[in-house]
Amino acid sequence: MSTFDDIDSPKLAEDFGAYHPINHMKDSIMNLLVSLGFEIVNGPEIESEEFNFDMLNIKKSHPARQMHDTFYVNNKTNVLRTHTSPVQIRGMLEKKPPLAFISGGKVFRKDDDSTHLPMFHQVEGIYVDEGVSFSNLKDLIFRIIHSLFGDDVQLRFRPSYFPFTEPSAEVDILSKDGKWLEILGCGIVNPVVLENCKIDSTKFSGFAFGLGVERIAMLKYGVNDIREFYKSNLDFLNQFK
Amino acid sequence: MKIAYRHLADNIKSSVSIDEMSEKLFQLGHEHEISDGIFDMEFTPNRGDCLSVDGLLRDLSVFYATTIDDKDTYKPLINPLSINFSNNCQVDCPYISFLKIEIADNTLDYQGCLQNYFKDLKINKNNFFTDISNYISYETGQPTHCYDASKLDNKFSLEQLDGNFSFETLLGKSIELTGKNLVFVQGEEIINLAGVVGGKSTSCDKNTKTVIVECAYFNPEAIIGKSVKYGIQSESAHKFERNVDPTCHDKVLRRFLALVDSHANIKNIELFTNKSNEFNATSIELNVNTINRIIGSDITEDSYKNYLSRLGFTFSNKEILVPSYRSDIITQNDLAEEIARSIGYDNIPVKNFNILSRISECNEVKANKIKSFLVDNGFFEVINSPFIANGGDSSIKVDNPLDSNREFLRVNLRDSLIGNLLYNERRQKDSIKLFEISDVYSSSQIANKKRVLGVIASGRVGKNYKEFSKKISNDYLKNLFKVLDSEMSFNFENILRENLDTKLKTSISYLEVDLDDFSIDINNYKELSSPPLNYIKYKPISEYPSSVRDISFSITNPSNFKQLEESILNFEHELLKDVHIFDFYKNQKMLEIKIGFRFIFQSSKSTITESEVNKVVSNIMSIALEIETVSIPGLL
Repeated sequence: MSTFDDIDSPKLAEDFGAYHPINHMKDSIMNLLVSLGFEIVNGPEIESEEFNFDMLNIKKSHPARQMHDTFYVNNKTNVLRTHTSPVQIRGMLEKKPPLAFISGGKVFRKDDDSTHLPMFHQVEGIYVDEGVSFSNLKDLIFRIIHSLFGDDVQLRFRPSYFPFTEPSAEVDILSKDGKWLEILGCGIVNPVVLENCKIDSTKFSGFAFGLGVERIAMLKYGVNDIREFYKSNLDFLNQFK
Repeated sequence: MKIAYRHLADNIKSSVSIDEMSEKLFQLGHEHEISDGIFDMEFTPNRGDCLSVDGLLRDLSVFYATTIDDKDTYKPLINPLSINFSNNCQVDCPYISFLKIEIADNTLDYQGCLQNYFKDLKINKNNFFTDISNYISYETGQPTHCYDASKLDNKFSLEQLDGNFSFETLLGKSIELTGKNLVFVQGEEIINLAGVVGGKSTSCDKNTKTVIVECAYFNPEAIIGKSVKYGIQSESAHKFERNVDPTCHDKVLRRFLALVDSHANIKNIELFTNKSNEFNATSIELNVNTINRIIGSDITEDSYKNYLSRLGFTFSNKEILVPSYRSDIITQNDLAEEIARSIGYDNIPVKNFNILSRISECNEVKANKIKSFLVDNGFFEVINSPFIANGGDSSIKVDNPLDSNREFLRVNLRDSLIGNLLYNERRQKDSIKLFEISDVYSSSQIANKKRVLGVIASGRVGKNYKEFSKKISNDYLKNLFKVLDSEMSFNFENILRENLDTKLKTSISYLEVDLDDFSIDINNYKELSSPPLNYIKYKPISEYPSSVRDISFSITNPSNFKQLEESILNFEHELLKDVHIFDFYKNQKMLEIKIGFRFIFQSSKSTITESEVNKVVSNIMSIALEIETVSIPGLL
């Protein structure tokens, strides 16, 4: 028989806040890559055209460099980085191979509709050493995809085009309703990019890959509208504890 | 670009189903959707050579024998055309031909491939020569332009004009040309925006009997961006921007003639050609070892050469000669991609590798510690867009903003976080604690970003009975933050509500600090919570208002207390969104326990009604009142 003194106060309901689901997803991917030996590098969101485009073999005539795709700032002297790749360029200029970098963060493109936002997040990585091949790249991609979507997920590699990789590929996974969903882009680092970073492309080769964090988060959490992530609605954020 | 399955299958010697062809196209890197037998192709920008039936067939030749070289072309010799044309832009246009065709009559009753093109792709016919020109572009990938010869003087030129000029397109749209533009000029008049769209004054119509067909190679740099700049949908510009075959003119024009010949009586044909230089094929060293090193494959030289031959490459000693239509192939890596996609990326072996691990110098430790502390104390992380309407003098201006509300980059997080707070207040939240960590930039320090933490809070400290009646204040937050960093003074400020779009009165506390200002002390903070390991399945949020009910129970038999607590906290109903204990009191003298529960109701389908809430509440109350010695004070 309990007495008044025995009564415990009711347990306090857990009242923690939450990490933003996009940052949480970004950190999860980056932690996985760190566990594989990649080193995190950071860089600025306001970049020069040289680092955002030229060093990455994106020529002046490339559509991405037109005013309708890229945000220019400061009387066109700088751009808001359109990808996190320039961070890796900075990393390659600083250190000598073998090197394995990842960078993650905000990127900006001049888009705004139900599936695209002018600001979104990427995680990109690069690995440069002697004798790195597309076969090695496949090994890493399998490890990333299996870690994110389970060992049973079916995936395919499709040839694609990025100025900074050659050969280039996009990777799709087969969804439960039988549709192929694009997950990431990757490829063998274009020797031109290595040479731009003063790396001897006759001796070293590398691979690079990049993932859109929102896209993966939408798939993993079942969020259908990308804009939900950025309304800062507590009912939404409270679900990601 | 839309390409009919039938038009490809008809030119493949074996029988290939649409599903098999689709799979092969994906293997080759040609993404598409299929609808009613039509492939809606999405080509990568480096593969301009594939923007045609013949282009795709050349790629499919990796797998199938095609009839691409067996097509009917006009074989006889063609007399030279005497025209007074000056090519004043040989760099932008090194190769150009004009074919003059005179016919006795014309028709729109098309046969064979021409008929299939209009029927299968449901394209409207225009006039005889324009229709053939459009088909030729679809079949061969080479755009041509048709001038009505009766509207063209004998003297015209290709010029790079710099300045403002008026031009009327063949569809009657008036455009003001600005800056540098490559144009065909007759007298003072612009008759063609080169590679993009022809002019009204010299265009063909249904009465045209004599045509001058222009077949040119324009440098992509001379064309790129023009169609977007002037708002013109132009398939020819799309092709020229991605490079066309500089050596195809004779073949294309003879194919054009064969189609005219099979539909009309030709009276006369004459041809003018202008070449500023001879085309030199790209040559690359033949070295299968390099290819195997890039891919990680193990193919033989014979197999390598076989794949390349099927794609139209030829060989001279130890050199590989790249076909003229593949301007994208320059290096060994380009060749490696040709082999990789011929083999199939999915068939390339997987080879394990290991990175020699370095100690990662994670510079996010500080930010992560701060985040953990805030999450432990009930704060939610938000991410805001950096674009704002006006950020003052120090704000960086976007040269090409999406709109005037997003013309500058924010120099602090304050306004974004105030916006987030008001948004949640409007959604009936009475305890709001948010933070954001972000880089901010100002015009004086573009190269020196600042990484800042912004914290905003208002309302109740928490929903638990110990915190329910406490309100967030600057002093409360200052004390709280001391746990994280005792060295630092956290100067929370009050944000005045006068200028905000709100009628609430509760105080708003705000803090913005540079991450660099935190001391090393924060590394000692021990996290209470941890990020979730599993990914939850998100439940869509209701946009309808919620309804709150508070019920206090009294209980005199301590033995039944746990039963009451658990039966209420475990009660589930689709309209009950949240329940928590907001009050708890043991009255030793009266031997009575009082416990207050707050219930929050919300419907996902409509605004919840009083009677819907009452029904659930009465259900909850009857469950509670069945427990011995439980009563609801004030309930009659």
